[in-house]
Amino acid sequence: MNRARRSLTAEAAAHAILIAYTIIALFPVVLILINSFKDRRAIFQAPMAPPTPESLSLIGYATVLEQGNFALYFMNSLTVTVLALVLVLLLGAMAAFALAEYRFFGNALMGLYLAIGIMIPIRLGTVGILEMMVATGLVNTRTALVLVYTANGLPLCVFILSEFMRNVSKDLKDAARIDGLSEYTIFFRIVLPLVRPAMATVAVFTMIPIWNDLWFPLILAPGEAVKTITLGTQVFIGQFVTNWNAVLAGLALAILPVLALYLVFSRQLIRGITSGAVK
Amino acid sequence: MQHARAAARRKPFPWHVVVFLAPAVLIYTAVMIYPLAETLRLSFFDRTDEGARFWVGLVNFERLFLDPHWADQFWNALANNFYFFVVHMAVQNPIGVLLAALLSMTHLPGRTFYRTAIFVPAMLSVVIIGFAWKLILSPIWGVSETLLGLVGLDFLFGPWLGKEGSALTTLALISVWQYVGIPMMLIYAALLAIPEDISEAADLDGVRGMALFFKVKLPLIWPTIGIISILTFIGNFNAFDLIYAVQGALAGPNFSTDILGTFLYRTFFGHQLELGDPHMGATIATAMFLIILVGVMAYLWGVQRRMRRYQF
Amino acid sequence: MAELRIADVEKSFGKVEVLKGVDLAIQDGEFIVLLGPSGCGKSTLLRIIAGLEDQTSGTISIGGTTVDHLPPARRGIAMVFQSYALYPHLDVAGNWALGLKQAGETKEVIEERTKEAARILELGPLLQRRPSELSGGQRQRVAIGRAIVRHPGVFLFDEPLSNLDAALRAQVRFEIGRLHKQLGATMVYVTHDQVEAMTLADRIVVMHQGVVQQVGSPADLYRTPANLFVAGFIGSPRMNFLKGTARQPGSLELDHGASLPLAELRQPAGEVVLGVRPDGFAVGDGATAPVRGKVVLNEYLGRESYLHLELEAGGRVVVEVAPDNPVRLDEIVGLELKPRAAHLFDAASEQRLAA
Repeated sequence: MNRARRSLTAEAAAHAILIAYTIIALFPVVLILINSFKDRRAIFQAPMAPPTPESLSLIGYATVLEQGNFALYFMNSLTVTVLALVLVLLLGAMAAFALAEYRFFGNALMGLYLAIGIMIPIRLGTVGILEMMVATGLVNTRTALVLVYTANGLPLCVFILSEFMRNVSKDLKDAARIDGLSEYTIFFRIVLPLVRPAMATVAVFTMIPIWNDLWFPLILAPGEAVKTITLGTQVFIGQFVTNWNAVLAGLALAILPVLALYLVFSRQLIRGITSGAVK
Repeated sequence: MQHARAAARRKPFPWHVVVFLAPAVLIYTAVMIYPLAETLRLSFFDRTDEGARFWVGLVNFERLFLDPHWADQFWNALANNFYFFVVHMAVQNPIGVLLAALLSMTHLPGRTFYRTAIFVPAMLSVVIIGFAWKLILSPIWGVSETLLGLVGLDFLFGPWLGKEGSALTTLALISVWQYVGIPMMLIYAALLAIPEDISEAADLDGVRGMALFFKVKLPLIWPTIGIISILTFIGNFNAFDLIYAVQGALAGPNFSTDILGTFLYRTFFGHQLELGDPHMGATIATAMFLIILVGVMAYLWGVQRRMRRYQF
Repeated sequence: MAELRIADVEKSFGKVEVLKGVDLAIQDGEFIVLLGPSGCGKSTLLRIIAGLEDQTSGTISIGGTTVDHLPPARRGIAMVFQSYALYPHLDVAGNWALGLKQAGETKEVIEERTKEAARILELGPLLQRRPSELSGGQRQRVAIGRAIVRHPGVFLFDEPLSNLDAALRAQVRFEIGRLHKQLGATMVYVTHDQVEAMTLADRIVVMHQGVVQQVGSPADLYRTPANLFVAGFIGSPRMNFLKGTARQPGSLELDHGASLPLAELRQPAGEVVLGVRPDGFAVGDGATAPVRGKVVLNEYLGRESYLHLELEAGGRVVVEVAPDNPVRLDEIVGLELKPRAAHLFDAASEQRLAA
């Protein structure tokens, strides 16, 4: 009885702290979103109020859609992110399988070599990367971004997935060998389906930094036709810095798709993180 | 040796290992390792006005560390980077641990909601976050002042991002605000991995509540906090985006928010009247590389070796 | 159906020698158990037979054909794994069919073999279930079924009962034995459990540190263990060992003074180890018997009891007695050897001494 009562107080305190922090976490996002739907006067006079019928205004969105190429930027980001993600997951899983499954000369060394990429940010190689992209004529192409993000995503992917693949039952793979399956079939039909949860986690860890990156789009692909949404928003806001309606609408447009995706997939994502994929 | 020959005959070259490994290793080597190595190499070169490259040995490093034109900026950026890291460690980890501990209280209703909500900022682009806070902290809008007024603290308000003394701290706190969800999740996962038996055994020993957390659980999650620290350390050298988005490449006011990332960008690409200098850029990148290397080594040898990992 | 020949097979992982030259001839239809403690090389040998591991040297032939160059699927073997290793995404029928499809068998053949295996294993009603919907015992039977449908020349079992609880273990063990009689196939079975080995095997191969210690029928191994290792490994509770010196026929001087009359000892043999199973001693008079000990533990098992004695001469022995024995703790009892209970081994070579 005593214990139950005490844990009730503790629980109330826990809720109070968590609610307070949740408000801190969400407030700026909510503030941007509600104000993006208001006219200029309402933004300044009553910034905390949600849009009312009188103050409702979509002028900011109109400016953004007229002046900015947001649809194009969005497609660019989507293309780059999806292509890089597919390459990271496919090639990373293949390499992880090779490292986890086969004994060969230099296996451990290869693992270490790939692990360098986890420790060293790829941005430090920017000078070399830009020179290479200039030399191969890939500057201002989405291909350049896909290549960079793939290279950057592979080490962590290989590291996490090879841990998981080591846990796939050895007996199962041997049973498949006795049944005459080729090594490729064993990988694609037996092992890949079994590490799908880990792949989901890796996908999230790979995808978010790519989508949100500013550095490489700024340096490798600043051209209007290949701008990503992050760079596009940054440039747009820089140009319209005094037009609060436009700035707020631009921010809201960049937030909303990510937020929507996150709300749909948050359950899997959090399960992925807490499943111990990363310790 | 008939046996040996039989064994040799039945072992064709394991091409499948190559097929599995080669694509990843090739892309990784070509786009990550080679440019990194190339960058390190370029730090030993300079070029003539006509663009011809020539070997200069350690001259670039000498300039970076000693020539006032470079050294002032470099040491300033390095100190700022260090400060940025310290603020993260001092604020992000305690908040992360606190939130994770609260979330891991058994049967706390609504924890899925809290988890999801607190993680939202970490999903958004730093550019978005930076601008959002810039607006919120802007004296023109006055949102912050109003909010502080609600709790009677409006006298504290100031243009924090615009003042040399407070700009860097403000940016560091924005960064903490954005990313605190990540340490929270990792610690939360580590706490969940502690078997219920241990808590129950502690309960039978009369250890519960705060004591349970500090005497039993916290020691068990030190390794996780160690990993988070080293990830934070490495992440610091990627912290370019926030400062560039909020303060621009000049990391104002008066370079008070300049960190190695913005310094590297400015040097490499030039700004206003100064031309970009790839060789000094490479030199800065090499210096950052060495700092990270020292940090990671110090962690691996000094911290992790002493820390015990517990298997449950 | 096939005989299996293992000729001088050696295996090392890096510098570690796991198999140090194994020679075995297994006849068609024979049930062979590879028995030994973990790390003795028995599983490695099985995996080499299967083709999952390459030997460092030596040759495997099945049914008269050398198979060293063949991949597992074409060696005419089938294997049952400790962890069942069923494909989690396929139902029972799918698990059985995969290997046959891979080998290009027709639909009719697959269907016929599936029916046959389902009948033998009484799994008919479960053919459409996924592995996750089956109990442990059922899963292991499905795994055995996957071996049956291949119609292999040799069945390989890798500790197939280890993941089952005690009650199921006895039942599946019985089924494997029945299966062997029904199919008459050659079977090689790896285990560390001597009960499985004793009950199933036509012949047992005892392995230790990569070397075959003894090959023989269960009764051979129990009655005439070839060396100290086999003597200690087979039989539960394990055989008692007493060190001594054989200076003259008919009597053994134990290390700590006492002298034991021993009819089996026909000639001097120097330093020896005397092995006596727990049922080889009779409890005698504590005053006159040549070997005496203090009772430190009396384990009551219902049908018998085991007395743990601390010998006056040093060392411990376990003695089987009737459960209703009047012995009390701390009592001093005497031990006498029953006829034909003594096993003698050379102390240096650890080999059995010819009687």
